[in-house]
Amino acid sequence: MNLGISSETPSKKQINLPKWLIWGFIAVSFIGFLDAGYLTVVHYTGADLACSFLEGCEIVTTSKYSLIFGIPVALLGALYYLTILILSLLYFDTKNNILLKIFPALTIFGFLASGWFIYLQIFVIKALCEYCILSAVTSTILFILGLYTIVKHKP
Amino acid sequence: MTRGIKRIIFWLAAGIIIIGGFLAIIFANTNTGNNNKHIGEVGTDEWIKGDPLSKVVLVEYSDFQCPACKTREAQNKKLLDEFGNHIKFVYRHFSWDYHERAFLASQASEAAGIQGKFWEMHDKIFENQGIWSKQSETAAEESFIAYALMLNLDIEKFKNDLYSNEVENKIEEDHASGNAAGIDATPIYFLNGTIINPRTYDEFRDLVRDAIEKANQPA
Repeated sequence: MNLGISSETPSKKQINLPKWLIWGFIAVSFIGFLDAGYLTVVHYTGADLACSFLEGCEIVTTSKYSLIFGIPVALLGALYYLTILILSLLYFDTKNNILLKIFPALTIFGFLASGWFIYLQIFVIKALCEYCILSAVTSTILFILGLYTIVKHKP
Repeated sequence: MTRGIKRIIFWLAAGIIIIGGFLAIIFANTNTGNNNKHIGEVGTDEWIKGDPLSKVVLVEYSDFQCPACKTREAQNKKLLDEFGNHIKFVYRHFSWDYHERAFLASQASEAAGIQGKFWEMHDKIFENQGIWSKQSETAAEESFIAYALMLNLDIEKFKNDLYSNEVENKIEEDHASGNAAGIDATPIYFLNGTIINPRTYDEFRDLVRDAIEKANQPA
């Protein structure tokens, strides 16, 4: 459904992303948002002294690598997914081609960041957190969808 | 329906789903549910410290390989030094599967318990957590046997009891009561049947002291 305005100039070709692709961005970034949001909550509330089935996540989300300039990476991840989610919803609504230049490109950063965090978990912290692995999966899927959009539709 | 209304509905729905999803995960993480879990009566064959006749019963579910449980051990000792004459402190096993040597450690403590030295072995196991928890199963077993030697136990009996059904069943009973109570972390303390979650020693001490005062009030 095209609910809004098409702001493209007539000289430029309107790109119509297939619906599955837009819904893919929306669904996967929503899952990523909930996952990173959960880790953010764990970071702020689950750091009390206890061993539990989430121990891997507590080690990872309370390690020194869990912060960048004092900000939990889980929170940055949640904001990243939320940005992708809102931009893809905005595209779904407006079909504005400028958006296609932004969010597919953003997925590259998400993918690189996730790669770095998986490296840290395996080789440096030596603890794996299932929720962080899920985040790596969602960011990889978003990256593939982003790459597909860039290559196939050349926004 | 006009395009404008459709858009409003679309964004409202998206907003509700996003915010609702986020609130749901916060709720799921903070809702600890009913704190009055049934952990069963404390049997006479359980590991008790303090005053066995006290009405103030503090049950700890603990995992020998859990670093947090080791840290809390010092607090338990401090608490018992102060209130040992007024509370009944009970130790129950609740080892996590991913703590690979924790069950064997429980078996070692129970095997020592058969010879009357549960608490001594319990202390040795926690003191040396950093060593045996990193060892292979056979090496960890040798470590526990070495602790048994230090405690002057009958080693042949200790070795026989280590893998006995009696010992295994006793640990499994603790696990079963912990599972029934829906334990999701260790260490967990139940003060007179209610989960307490003190974040500091002072909080822990205050809760126990209040329970003692309450128990001593004339009816």
